[in-house]
Amino acid sequence: MTELIERELEVPCQPEHLWRALTDPRWLESWLADAVDLELRPGGDAHFVVDGQTRDGWVEEVRPPVPGDGPGETGCLTFWWQAQDASPSRVCIELIPAEGGTRIRVVEARPLDVLDLVGLPLPGQGHVGQHRFGPALVAG
Amino acid sequence: MRRRLLSEIASHPATATELANDLPITRQAVSKHLTCLARAGLLARERTGRDVRYRVTPAPLSDAMSWMAQVGAEWDDRLARLAGAVDSLDDRPDPSASASA
Repeated sequence: MTELIERELEVPCQPEHLWRALTDPRWLESWLADAVDLELRPGGDAHFVVDGQTRDGWVEEVRPPVPGDGPGETGCLTFWWQAQDASPSRVCIELIPAEGGTRIRVVEARPLDVLDLVGLPLPGQGHVGQHRFGPALVAG
Repeated sequence: MRRRLLSEIASHPATATELANDLPITRQAVSKHLTCLARAGLLARERTGRDVRYRVTPAPLSDAMSWMAQVGAEWDDRLARLAGAVDSLDDRPDPSASASA
């Protein structure tokens, strides 16, 4: 079982313009968290401050949207974050081309502890920044 | 007594009769407590034949529910802020410039 939250928002703005909102720290700090420090590459470090609380994690996927002749290609930013004394969760933010703009789709999921078997550290064990996670997790 | 009942049931699911046999209270009193605990969501009832067996509600379920409620509310807030930031795009092509000013 995976605990999962899904939200969608349509905005009248092209995906390629919205990409900055997902990748520019100053943009991110205006909506995602109080402080955002993302190393924008798979496996890169991710640090956040949410409601005065630090969350550490790593970046899983960075895929800018690609404008095309048709609807274009969906872009996505996927990262993991974990507050102290909490279990890690995976956030996937997609920018899906839609008529007249973009459908922003967010999924935050907290997989059961079985994922820790492939290397994502349990709270209090090791550091997320050491990247002790396995390919099975990234593939998921 | 309710705490004691809970710990008994946590170690093994039981019927009111079984619990009354192990505890210094009547079956009727046990039933009353069990009804209360079930209503509070701490116990679940399972009917097998004529017996109603009580078991402790798994804690992860309520943990999951509170996680989803909290994380859902967080994203509602975030997306509302993002929508607001996007709205201001027309006037301010680079809102980050004013944020850092």
